[in-house]
Amino acid sequence: MTPSPAAVAEMLARATGGDIGVTRIEALSGGAASATYAVDAQRAGAPWPLILQCAAAGTVSEGGMAKAVQARLQQLAFRHGLPVAEVVAVLAPADGMGEGFVMTRIEGEALAPRWLKGEDFAVARAALTGQCAAVLARLHAIPLGEVADLGLPAGRIAVQRERMFAHYRSFGVHSPVFDLAFAWLAERCGDAEPRALVHGDFRSGNIIVDAGGLAAVLDWELAHLGDPIEDLGWLCCNAWRFGQWQKPVGGFGEREALYEAYAAAGGGPVDRARAHLWEVWGTLRWGLSCLQLGHDHVSGRVPSVERAAIGRRVSEVELDLLHLIRFGGI
Amino acid sequence: MSEQIEAAALIEAVSLFLGEIEPRLHGREAFHAKVAKNALAIVARELAQRPQKAEAAALGGFLGHDAGIDALRSEICGRLRAGQLTPETPGLLEALTAATLAKCAVDNPRYSTFRRLAGQ
Repeated sequence: MTPSPAAVAEMLARATGGDIGVTRIEALSGGAASATYAVDAQRAGAPWPLILQCAAAGTVSEGGMAKAVQARLQQLAFRHGLPVAEVVAVLAPADGMGEGFVMTRIEGEALAPRWLKGEDFAVARAALTGQCAAVLARLHAIPLGEVADLGLPAGRIAVQRERMFAHYRSFGVHSPVFDLAFAWLAERCGDAEPRALVHGDFRSGNIIVDAGGLAAVLDWELAHLGDPIEDLGWLCCNAWRFGQWQKPVGGFGEREALYEAYAAAGGGPVDRARAHLWEVWGTLRWGLSCLQLGHDHVSGRVPSVERAAIGRRVSEVELDLLHLIRFGGI
Repeated sequence: MSEQIEAAALIEAVSLFLGEIEPRLHGREAFHAKVAKNALAIVARELAQRPQKAEAAALGGFLGHDAGIDALRSEICGRLRAGQLTPETPGLLEALTAATLAKCAVDNPRYSTFRRLAGQ
């Protein structure tokens, strides 16, 4: 349910100590876990465009990142000069709107198919590979001590793989290709300790792009401690190319350009085999999301023709995995 | 034909109906109508192509014996988990590719990786 302008104005006044008005609140398409609203506020009479993000069910589901933690993490990224929306208020229990926070609204296009194909984004697309590489290099350089008190998920690589395997087994589905990919990863992933802050969902669809390129990085709720190359591999998964499959980096760039720009921006040399491993990992992870969405329908948790249909995308993911494992890339 | 209205004809009729009401739908409902038409197209292809036969032939050929598709899938998964099969086992990747191409030909024959692996 969309919160009232009066309630949001009152909350903003409490959090910022200012004279705040709110004239319009519009629900934006949100994910399953979060509800997102555009808020037209006025501060001391001047327009103040904001975004309110709340947990869809009032509270974040078990195992998810608390909205207050997400706000602190996003603000940390902002202080490090990363392109993210500045957090201006965190909801308190007394606000009566559940978990959530308010951030500035950054202008630009969030829908990936639009900026991946639109003529007016040609300059942006040309700049984007280098910009993504630089942002990731800077993110991965944040000292882990600065996020120590956020309680972010962390685990050795082998433990993360086992967790993902248990998730797969929980559906009771037998996919020979998924088992093949798990076996392939087990042979190669090693058991390193986490060494960087990883965004965890850095991809086309989770960034705002304007005429100049990367304007903001969104959706920090899957951030964790891990192998920084995970973010590079995930960005290259075929699912995030939105049909522009000839451009491996998010549907807009080339892998070598990404790796070289990442090293040049201080991210360190990229082990090509490691990056390939994380592409396989990311593709498998997307496959488990397809199983999860299909399961939501089959189990009756969220009956939906859309989720049922996404369950049939498993065979696409299986072919991507086979192509990656047999031929080294897509 | 033994039936005047076979399953394929019903699918076509429902798909036509969805097309009729689609212009009057908006937002999420319009999107779901498109998804529903696509889902019906999958059902139509599944009925026409019977992909489980091709999948069972590929997996059974690799294992060297026949069984139902669920048993064949389950056996390969179990042997991969136990380390009796590995990604390096000769013939495994080829058999899985043939089996998965049969599935994806039904689910989404326009998918880029399907076209590449099917040599189209």
